Amino acid sequence: MKTLRASLSSLLILALVITSLPVVAATPAASELMSTQSVLASDQAGSDRQRINDVLARADVQQALVNQGVSPADVQERVAALSDSEARQMADRLDELPAGAGVVGALFAVFVILLITDILGLTDVYPFTR
Amino acid sequence: MTRCLFNARLAGVFMLALVLSACARTPVLLDSTREEIAPRTELGEVPFYAQTEYQCGPASLAMVLEHQGETASIEALIRQVYVPGREGSLQPEMLAAVRRHGLIAYPIRPTLDALLAHLDADEPVVVLQNLSLPLYPMWHYAVAIGYDLPRETLILRSGEIPRHTLSLARFDATWARSQRWGFVVKPPGELATGVSVRSAIEAISAFEAVQGPSTALDSWQALVERHPDSALGWFALGNARYADGKPGEAVDAFETATRQDPALGAAWLNLGLLLTQLDQPGAITAFERAAALEGPWQSKAREHLGH
Repeated sequence: MKTLRASLSSLLILALVITSLPVVAATPAASELMSTQSVLASDQAGSDRQRINDVLARADVQQALVNQGVSPADVQERVAALSDSEARQMADRLDELPAGAGVVGALFAVFVILLITDILGLTDVYPFTR
Repeated sequence: MTRCLFNARLAGVFMLALVLSACARTPVLLDSTREEIAPRTELGEVPFYAQTEYQCGPASLAMVLEHQGETASIEALIRQVYVPGREGSLQPEMLAAVRRHGLIAYPIRPTLDALLAHLDADEPVVVLQNLSLPLYPMWHYAVAIGYDLPRETLILRSGEIPRHTLSLARFDATWARSQRWGFVVKPPGELATGVSVRSAIEAISAFEAVQGPSTALDSWQALVERHPDSALGWFALGNARYADGKPGEAVDAFETATRQDPALGAAWLNLGLLLTQLDQPGAITAFERAAALEGPWQSKAREHLGH
């Protein structure tokens, strides 16, 4: 992961240096216009550092999702569909984000059972039942 | 040992208090909400898919996508959002999956009033609830499809229940634990009811990054029609028009953006660049305005002014 980051960083820096070299053509190309996404990330909008961080965040999310059992065949397209801010959010706190799973009921059943067994005097989990 | 027992007792009291407060609180709706929306509504045409195992995320997505005419199999959606290690699906990926199906996901304002207003406008809402207590969270996605104000109930497609009716109070207690998170799904060109301008712009921009500017063009148009004073909206429309090969119309949009917010340097810069390309007058003035404002556009504007 570290080496991936390091090699990716140097690649990115190289790419940014090359693309930022003055262009000879007089008319502006489409890429020269400031993009909507970069204005939305207005705090450090469009700065090279921010662009590197965003790409790295996506690489981090990709790795984290694979570690969590997502198939490597699917992960690239999944991360590509995230917006920059969503990718950052996922990179920062993938383990804390709530994962909607649903009405599986195991935990709640345990809670209710323990509550009842506590009242019946069979267990000693919830002091407030006495 | 005593200390431990004391802590346990404290925790018990705390939990009891939580349970009681969760049951007792009745959510208060604004008077204006009660006046503006119908007393009851139910979007019966929203299809139902029962969840299997931990797949409430994919099931909820399938329901709202199909409601917009986009058929997606649960298996395909599982591969797009499910995270095996977490045994569930995460919020950003739920929104991202909608984009991959050519539709736009708009996060709603986090209030019960907003939720009911969406339902009143025939927009089913995917909601994230914590069915259990914060201590043992049971996160769950469901689709809100209706409400009944006189009875104070909400109707959900939830888990394995096609029509789950529960009191507004109980629902709000479970919903509040996700900071009342939810989203609606709309096709390009249609805006969701009542979402903030900023969150609409972010939703369309994220969609544009995945599906391309020409697909997003209609949504930007709809946005500036509803919010004609949004400089950022006009700016985004300008970019989409330019990418779609309409530089002349893009100039109009950038000009409107600078009129709505003369401090939006990015709009001045893009206007200057386009006027230069089209060989029209006014480019120098636009670059001067951009160069005078602090921001990431400044250096490029100065470059074009030759200093």
